[in-house]
Amino acid sequence: MVHLAPGDPFGAEGSRLTPELREQLRVRFGYDRPLVEQYGRYVANVARGELGFSHSLQMPVATALATAIPRTLLLMGVALALSFGLGMWLGVFEAKRRGTAAARATNAITIVLYSLPAFWLGLMILLAFAYWIPIFPAGGMRDVALADYMTPGQALLDRVKHLVLPVLTLVLWTGAYVARYQRAALAEVLPLDFIRTARAKGVPAHALVSRHALRNALLPMITLAGYLFPYLLGGTVVIERIYAWPGMGWLVTNAIGSRDYPLVIAAVLVGGIMVALGNLLADIGYGLADPRIRAR
Amino acid sequence: MTATLAAGCTDRSTGDGGDPGGTVIIAVPGTFTPALPIYSVTATTVNITSQVYDRLATAPENLSSFGDAGFEPRLARSWTWAPDSMSIAFHVNPDARWHDGRPVRASDVKFSFDVARDPRSGSNIAPLITNIDSISVRDSLTAVAHFKSRSPEQFYDLVYQLYIVPEHVLGGVARDQLTTADASKLLVGSGRFRLARFEPGARLELVADTANYRGRAKLDRVIFTVAADGGAAVAQILSGQADVFEFIPPDLVARLDSNSPARAVPFPGLAYAYLGMNQRAQRGSGPHPLFGDRAVRLAVSMALDREAMLRNVFDTLGVLGVGPYARRLADSAVTIPPFDRARATALLDSAGWRAGPNGVRAKGGRALAFSVMYPTSSKPRERYAVLIQEQLRSIGARVDLTAVDFPTFQRRQEAGEFDAALISANPDANLGGARQYWTAGGMARGGQNFVKYNNPRFDALLDSAVASFDGARRRDQTRRAWQMLVDDAPGVWLYDLLFMNAVHRRIRTTDLRADGWWAGLADWTIPADERIDRDRVGLRPAQP
Repeated sequence: MVHLAPGDPFGAEGSRLTPELREQLRVRFGYDRPLVEQYGRYVANVARGELGFSHSLQMPVATALATAIPRTLLLMGVALALSFGLGMWLGVFEAKRRGTAAARATNAITIVLYSLPAFWLGLMILLAFAYWIPIFPAGGMRDVALADYMTPGQALLDRVKHLVLPVLTLVLWTGAYVARYQRAALAEVLPLDFIRTARAKGVPAHALVSRHALRNALLPMITLAGYLFPYLLGGTVVIERIYAWPGMGWLVTNAIGSRDYPLVIAAVLVGGIMVALGNLLADIGYGLADPRIRAR
Repeated sequence: MTATLAAGCTDRSTGDGGDPGGTVIIAVPGTFTPALPIYSVTATTVNITSQVYDRLATAPENLSSFGDAGFEPRLARSWTWAPDSMSIAFHVNPDARWHDGRPVRASDVKFSFDVARDPRSGSNIAPLITNIDSISVRDSLTAVAHFKSRSPEQFYDLVYQLYIVPEHVLGGVARDQLTTADASKLLVGSGRFRLARFEPGARLELVADTANYRGRAKLDRVIFTVAADGGAAVAQILSGQADVFEFIPPDLVARLDSNSPARAVPFPGLAYAYLGMNQRAQRGSGPHPLFGDRAVRLAVSMALDREAMLRNVFDTLGVLGVGPYARRLADSAVTIPPFDRARATALLDSAGWRAGPNGVRAKGGRALAFSVMYPTSSKPRERYAVLIQEQLRSIGARVDLTAVDFPTFQRRQEAGEFDAALISANPDANLGGARQYWTAGGMARGGQNFVKYNNPRFDALLDSAVASFDGARRRDQTRRAWQMLVDDAPGVWLYDLLFMNAVHRRIRTTDLRADGWWAGLADWTIPADERIDRDRVGLRPAQP
């Protein structure tokens, strides 16, 4: 499919690239071979652990991925953990105070955040905290000029500062989603008999939710976590571009624009693996959370 | 916007800020990888190349390509013409050193030329140095260039196109492996900056070569940092995280007011944009059913109010196109078709294009309908496309707009798969460079004559002008050639690309050149009392 996109893998280099050099590069990278042969070679190479050479980055694809994946996992991991923390807390908050003005206000805020496009939210946060009130960097992973001259403590702080805005964007964007999901899950559990029994036995309201209802409302959240894992990967594509975060999202969009076929295919492969991984982690989580599933 | 530009452009040029030092961060939208000079094609890689490597001499400020007048010595301390001008002996500066400490020798000059013209290397400058027969080594510091024929631009062709690379680093690499060899990425040069580190996808850092034969650069470091796209680069500039963003769009200029950490610095360029009309059919080799007719091309040219479009897109920051060249190279005696809709309509009438019931003209069952292609990466061209569509409706032409991404635009442009396209051209300053854009030779693969303009009389005039040693005769022939081309109306000359960089206010730049704003980067300065944290790092080694 990526070959169907018009354009030359070496066209992005500019028209000053001579036809001879383009042809030389096409032969070197195997793009002159029939598509079926290219695919067969690629599959055979992947089986041997070779993902090809990225002509746009001038390095092996495996190296490019090995550099980019940890950066995206860092961003996604922190964002996922904080999203769930915030989202579940908000969901529990709304469940405990349902019917109150505070719960209604929280509900309204989560609806708004949930509806906002990630790219718009990212741009607004960037504008607010890197330009209007310049307290955080406008992009990148670290200070390109000073990072190499910082003490370990300064370097850590620098990394954290660069993480704040992209993580904040992702947390607001997905945290609202998690909050609404958590609220709905709790709304299903709270009317059940065992909750009524606990209430009749005199369990306080806050303990009713956090100690009794929440555990049973966790299973849908585990499903959500498994779903959000690859979903966030798609979201980080946008966020990484806005914040110049050199992770998988940035890698993929540049690869597509450069018609860097091996890199695009490898990135899709990684995405597929992450979907499978997300589902696997969710299944494992079920077993940990629900003894009935473990027993089965 | 003009007031903003005036307020922002306080005279902070001619850098002479005292003690050397400081760090300049250049935000680059998109990726870049360091490359040898013969493979450097994008603005960023050419910038990096020109800091790390040297030419034998550098072209004068006015970019004259006639003889060697005004050329300043670089790696060649001096040169001596043979009496018949068929060879030039270049005397290499004995103080010149590669960044690894080895001396630069005449054999490096010969090696650089041999690599550049070797078809196995796939060099992008090989078509530009065809008049140079060979380079021989007379002694360790004297390289002699032998030419196939005398021409006014023979010195320019060799000296301007050829960067000198080290034989001792690259000599052991197979020529067809140079594009990807590790040795090629080391960027061992003789320039005033040397490569310190490169992190793909993140940054490339150059540091001043303190032992350079031309004196150390006045800056300590230049860092090229990757921004995801133009918007991210703008964010870095406005937040002070980066110092330079090149080719800023016109709508950003207004934001660089007195409160902004950066100012807009305009500089001349050689690029221009035009509406190119393809004169060859997309399928087959026959003429284009519409633009194969000069009357149609001329009518389109005269139907477009270029000044109004310029004001609409660029407000007061635009420079009106004056022909197939930038204004600074224009001959004022060459006149282009004026805006005259009545005449345009009359032309179409006399050519047999009659208005139909739907307002669209037709002739022989064929509607006056065509597409205009433009790249989505260019907002000005996108806006021009809409304006052109609207303006041509008034003369009974139906224009469809085809927006494509840049790689697709390039491919279709090169393949001739378009009716009309909004093309930007960036030729070299010399007349020889114009050949690639408008002569029959430019229609071959690798050429820039995308609209397939083919006029043997034009080619002959231009060739005579290029070969002429008589300045007055050369100017006359050039003028006649351009007038001939302009009268044939292969394109509508829309605007010169007005280049502006956003530059942090603490930086004192040199005058920016048309052939590369970065040419004087090594002489930019930052006054000591205006330096910020990243300027105080100096040249100390990084923390382990």
